Amino acid sequence: MALALPIIVTMGALVFYPLAVTLWDSLHRVDPMRPGTPFIGLRHYIDLVADENVRQATWNTLVYVAIAVLLETVGGVAAALLLSSVKHGRKWLLAAVVLPWALPPVVNALVWLWIYNPSYGVLNALARTAGLIADNQVWFNDRPAALVLIALVHVWRMLPLTAVIVLAALQSVPGELYEAAWIDGAGPVRSFFSVTLPLISGGLAIALTQSTVFAFNLFDEAWILNGTSRDTRTLLVQVYMSAFQNLHFSYGMALSALVMFVSLAVSLFYILRIQRTTEFG
Amino acid sequence: MRRFAHPAWWLRLVGVALLLLWSLGPIYWAVVSSFTLPTDLTVRELHLLPPHPTLMHYQNLLGAVSSFQGVVTQSVWPLFSRALLNSTVTALASTVVTVAIAALGGYAFARMRFPGRRALFGLVIATMAIPAYTVMIPLYRLLVALRLVDTYVGITLIYVSAFLPLALWLMRSIYETMPRSLEEAAWLDGAGRLHTLLRVVLPIASPGLIAAAILTFLSAWGQFMVPLVFSPTLRTKPLTVLIPEFVTKNYVDYGLMNAAGVLAILPPLLLVAFLNRYLVSGLMAGAGK
Repeated sequence: MALALPIIVTMGALVFYPLAVTLWDSLHRVDPMRPGTPFIGLRHYIDLVADENVRQATWNTLVYVAIAVLLETVGGVAAALLLSSVKHGRKWLLAAVVLPWALPPVVNALVWLWIYNPSYGVLNALARTAGLIADNQVWFNDRPAALVLIALVHVWRMLPLTAVIVLAALQSVPGELYEAAWIDGAGPVRSFFSVTLPLISGGLAIALTQSTVFAFNLFDEAWILNGTSRDTRTLLVQVYMSAFQNLHFSYGMALSALVMFVSLAVSLFYILRIQRTTEFG
Repeated sequence: MRRFAHPAWWLRLVGVALLLLWSLGPIYWAVVSSFTLPTDLTVRELHLLPPHPTLMHYQNLLGAVSSFQGVVTQSVWPLFSRALLNSTVTALASTVVTVAIAALGGYAFARMRFPGRRALFGLVIATMAIPAYTVMIPLYRLLVALRLVDTYVGITLIYVSAFLPLALWLMRSIYETMPRSLEEAAWLDGAGRLHTLLRVVLPIASPGLIAAAILTFLSAWGQFMVPLVFSPTLRTKPLTVLIPEFVTKNYVDYGLMNAAGVLAILPPLLLVAFLNRYLVSGLMAGAGK
């Protein structure tokens, strides 16, 4: 018990206590510009639903989540399949795949900011060379393009996690099953969908949850690439602006509490599903 | 397996090439840009190698004087070196503290029986899904009250509380895969519980310790949201907060930005190049296996 004491103290003082304060304050009006902290019940939460900025940020976030989960899952599974089929130099290929995940997200975003540069960016140069565009594009002037490009940077960073989780799941699939499927006349595509996919579904569920939660909490990439622009800001950027720029403390807290509830709900959903599959499997 | 891969050996080769291009291409581009003359950075033609390789961006970053567009400006080295020091100190300190606490606590959660053990563990793990901003404002007030804003101790404490759950999860899962017989043998020989943990259990769990240390270090090294709020001045401001400031100034010195980025990438790059085995096993275990 004494060994767990540092954990209880650290987490209690620096996570659970502030969390309780956040939930409590979100029911009050805490605003350094206005006197007093009256109890206002769910006022903030009701206002949040009607807030145009919050709505826009929610849409942006959902777009990021959709793009990130789709691309990370498809790309991650493809990368994992490729990795498990490579025999020579797999160690180095794995290192190359993992690398983007290991780098500071801010530096990633800056590297891509330079790639997306409207005047001198390599994306413009490549697209021109390929004949896709006649002249340089200011990519972030176009909201759909901006959303996709920011999501892409996030995918670049998070795809390795999906790839590694799926790779771990793939390694636990017994090789005899593929032989059996092959003897039964199944081709590679067929055996992927009827042998591989069901057996890695547990790992895939974990990867999906991680993709969803991380994309839902996207901040660094959107902040670096396009600042506080309404077109691309995420819910957490909105929280930062409400709380730390506009100094509406408790309003920002209420929004961050909402983000937390959704993250927890997604995680809980996956934990319950995993437990059910392991109980019956 | 081989029979299923047969459709095309070259298909796999194309796949590997695409994967390498996707993963390393952007990093390669940053490295190339960091060695390119400013005049070559702003040409329309695409060049895959610097036409006139130069070290000037690194000299600007690390030298006693800096220049921009031929004008000598104040050196950024004092800023850069201080931020580098700040990043290193906070990342290392939070790694050591996190791993130490997780190594002891993980053992308690894996082996000892105390009331509320499962609930407590579940609560701590659940905090991984909490966005940092949910606790940021009360935490800020708390640190102001303790006079810990913009101090190494304050930043380290926040990092520890943020990265402890994953390290704890990792260490507990390592202990749970270890046979109890070793510890029981040590107890029979009269070794105490703590002595057994330090001398018998931890050495065997060292791959897990390394994995937890790498994951914690990388998370702390790359942190942006926390220092954006808690490191307002150069006293504790890390590279992740300093480098974007190069961009928001009037002129954007892309060469300098890329050189600084490449230097900030180096520690993670070395970890991945030499200790990827532990990193990957940590990611696999951390994913709930």
